[in-house]
Amino acid sequence: MHAALTVLAILFGWLFTVATAGALGTLLLRKLSLSFYRWEERLFAFVIGAALLSAIVFVLCAAQLAWKPLFLVLGLAIIFYALRSGAHHPRGGPFPPLPQRWRWVFLVVFGAFTALYFINALEPESSPDGMSYHLGVVAKYQRTHGFPRITTDIYASLSEGIEMLFLWAFEYGRHSAAALVHFAFFIVLIFLIFSYARRIGRPGVGVAAAIFTYASPVVGLDGTIAYIDVGITAVLFALFYLLQIWDQDRNPQLLVPIGILAGFSYAVKYTAFIAVPYALCFIAWKSWRARKPIVRPILVVSMLALAFILPWMVKSWIEVANPFSPFANRIFPNPYVHISFEDTYRKYMRVYALTSYWQIPWQVTVRGDLTTGLIGPLFLLSPLALLALRFREGRQLLLAGLLFGAPYLTNVGTRFLIPAIPFISLSLALALSGLEWLLLVLVAAQAITCWPNVVRLYCAPGTWRLAKVSPKAALRIQPEEDYLNGNLGYDMARIIQSSVPANAKVLTFSQPGTAYTSRQILVGYEGAFNELLQDILWTPMFRDFQPTRILTFQFQPRELRRVRVVQTASVPEAQWSVAELRVFAGGRELPRDPEWRLTARPNPWDVQLAFDNSPVTRWRSWQPPEPGMYLEIGFPRGQTLDSVIVESSGDSSAAKIKLDGLANDGKWTTIAAAPTESIRPNRMSLRQAATAELKARGVRYLLIIDDTIGANDFRSYSKLWGMKSVAQHGVARLYFIE
Amino acid sequence: MTWTVIIVVLTRISFAILSLLLCSCDRLPETYPPPQQRPAQALTPDPYAMMVEMNDPDAAQHIVKDIYEPFGSPWRWTSKQPTVKMLVDASDNIKLSSDFAIWDDGFKQTGPLELSFLVNGHLLDKVKYATPGYKHFEKAVPPAWLSADTESTISIDVDKLYVAPQDGVKFGIILTRVGFLR
Repeated sequence: MHAALTVLAILFGWLFTVATAGALGTLLLRKLSLSFYRWEERLFAFVIGAALLSAIVFVLCAAQLAWKPLFLVLGLAIIFYALRSGAHHPRGGPFPPLPQRWRWVFLVVFGAFTALYFINALEPESSPDGMSYHLGVVAKYQRTHGFPRITTDIYASLSEGIEMLFLWAFEYGRHSAAALVHFAFFIVLIFLIFSYARRIGRPGVGVAAAIFTYASPVVGLDGTIAYIDVGITAVLFALFYLLQIWDQDRNPQLLVPIGILAGFSYAVKYTAFIAVPYALCFIAWKSWRARKPIVRPILVVSMLALAFILPWMVKSWIEVANPFSPFANRIFPNPYVHISFEDTYRKYMRVYALTSYWQIPWQVTVRGDLTTGLIGPLFLLSPLALLALRFREGRQLLLAGLLFGAPYLTNVGTRFLIPAIPFISLSLALALSGLEWLLLVLVAAQAITCWPNVVRLYCAPGTWRLAKVSPKAALRIQPEEDYLNGNLGYDMARIIQSSVPANAKVLTFSQPGTAYTSRQILVGYEGAFNELLQDILWTPMFRDFQPTRILTFQFQPRELRRVRVVQTASVPEAQWSVAELRVFAGGRELPRDPEWRLTARPNPWDVQLAFDNSPVTRWRSWQPPEPGMYLEIGFPRGQTLDSVIVESSGDSSAAKIKLDGLANDGKWTTIAAAPTESIRPNRMSLRQAATAELKARGVRYLLIIDDTIGANDFRSYSKLWGMKSVAQHGVARLYFIE
Repeated sequence: MTWTVIIVVLTRISFAILSLLLCSCDRLPETYPPPQQRPAQALTPDPYAMMVEMNDPDAAQHIVKDIYEPFGSPWRWTSKQPTVKMLVDASDNIKLSSDFAIWDDGFKQTGPLELSFLVNGHLLDKVKYATPGYKHFEKAVPPAWLSADTESTISIDVDKLYVAPQDGVKFGIILTRVGFLR
């Protein structure tokens, strides 16, 4: 009984979301008096309605009104109003009938994969990013009925257009309802591909391209979990499709859905920002060629796009002082995301585990282990898609595919190719459209080679793919907990949920299934504060992090109003750090006066760490050292000094420093061009000092996975750290700082 | 006309959003006073934090060699040179400490035992035990032998081993705990 109710709740959450989006979209399309083919109207209505519903949920979250009953009333009102307006009665004519052969091919292949995909989407959500952040943030919004200010999780600062729809579904059907919403985008994408080809009079191309995309292993998996890549692909394809219709009809009303989808693209995923310049350039170019006004359509589209983009920028600006967080931190420096994180992240995403870019074609099509997933061997034929250049539609498809696939250069993970796949599929099918038998063979080949049991025969072991589905788990005959047990992210979440009090914070270095716990989790790399905690915790274990380098500036006594330690070298791939900065007069250290003003460039927000007398905290540049970076003490009145000591660590030995001072005459002068350096070995274990710092910052729990940095040390010397192990499950161990 | 209205409305909305944006801007401070000072060496770790108890579930993490599984007892048999690794919380004022026993029946076979206590390969002491039973060893370790950053090894070398007549397995001493104390 409980299982049946759970499944019903999931299906309700999913269908309620789809119905609300569809109703909203239909109402707008009807209001604009836009006419499409019957199928097209339903598909566009869902995608445009999804954008509108997402914006509504955003507003409700911003107003802290994200309550389940309100969602229900609002959704039912929208659906009821749409029904009263006759939105359920189809408008527009049908497409010309599909040739019998293609109809059967489509039904058989689409039916088989749909059964597989539906079960996967209905299963308890266990995808790494789905349960960690796509639904992790959704679960937080659901608990707090809005946007809580989150400054310790980079993922919470990304635009979350589809996550807003996940939230609508999550309220009723939890995690699986959200995954099914993504699956709805997947289905819509496939029918959009199909419909586009029918509109251009090539139904066989439509079936082939739809199957090429639908069967692709990475698309199939991504589109049936709580990710967003297939969702954004549906939005981009719908935008392309509408632009093509506008190019034919020049109906100015079409600019409204075009503007909405261009903006919604950014709202769903930063990397899809390219949709905005694409739509604007397309309209400008076509209008100019047709000698039609350019400014007005461009203004309409830009304004509508901005209406969907700006809210996300504003949210990030308010919450983390950077409208493009977690990127652009050099332009918008802030205390929440380190530049070093952004640099490292970008660098890793450009290479993953590849040793050469020549590995990419084979990796993304056949092996998939180094780039996390595969699109299928058929796409080795992608160069043939260039033959579609001989058709106007082919040129449009290839241009859009190139643009929407461009972000792949910044992230070589296979799923970042997904936005280009429908365009490649259509171009390839179009290129070979003269050889129908060949298209049929390729469809059969794609369907067979991408079936999960066949994929495992050629992909690399451990490749991210849909390995198997479990109808029992999908129908909750096998309890959710049973099914998820053994999934590391889920196990971590359960330990935290069962052993950590409600308001406590947990620091961990691995990503747990945040969507399955209500506790506050700080993942090491996911925010500046978390990275600071991680740095504190690692300092006792790594000699190079410890303040063993003593850099002394000695000079004739002089009266100064400010003193600056200035970094003079340019050192890529390193950081500058200062554990303590001490000033002396007559051989005595000057006690730190509350009237001193301390600052630093960059990262002024952490400057106090260089003045707290703690050997485990340090001010760090959190970016490569550049000439002109400094730490400064401002004295309330002229202060006589004769030496300055900088305590630093081995890992910043490449940084070079000098000492500048501001005298009473208001002029900065260099007091000493270089310090003398000595080494002071550390004779104390810093472990307990480190945990004391965590405690002082409100962090009492530490969740450590066996193979992560320091796991053995925490386990072997928990007493030296001043903590005790309070729970363990598999390879995860939870410590409490006493 | 319709488009003009749309553009005007959208422009107004944009201005409203931008105004809100500007209102929300709050400059973060860039200068700070010195923070609360952390007192040096104010922390007091558990006095037994540097000891390996043989019944500790994580004892295996510290054992390097020649210590048998506990078989459910709070102590463990050793072989020729039981060795553990341990971190010190500071290198000054550290003593090596060990509690162990020499088995009566084994003693009958081996006679008096001479145990060498080593820290990081340095011989700290050599002690002859002329009687069986419970023993305690404790002696200060020179600071220069230790480092607070890296694990130190403690070895107890047993000069003669008891050989079990039934299966020929060799045993040294019965170890309860070993490690460092402040």
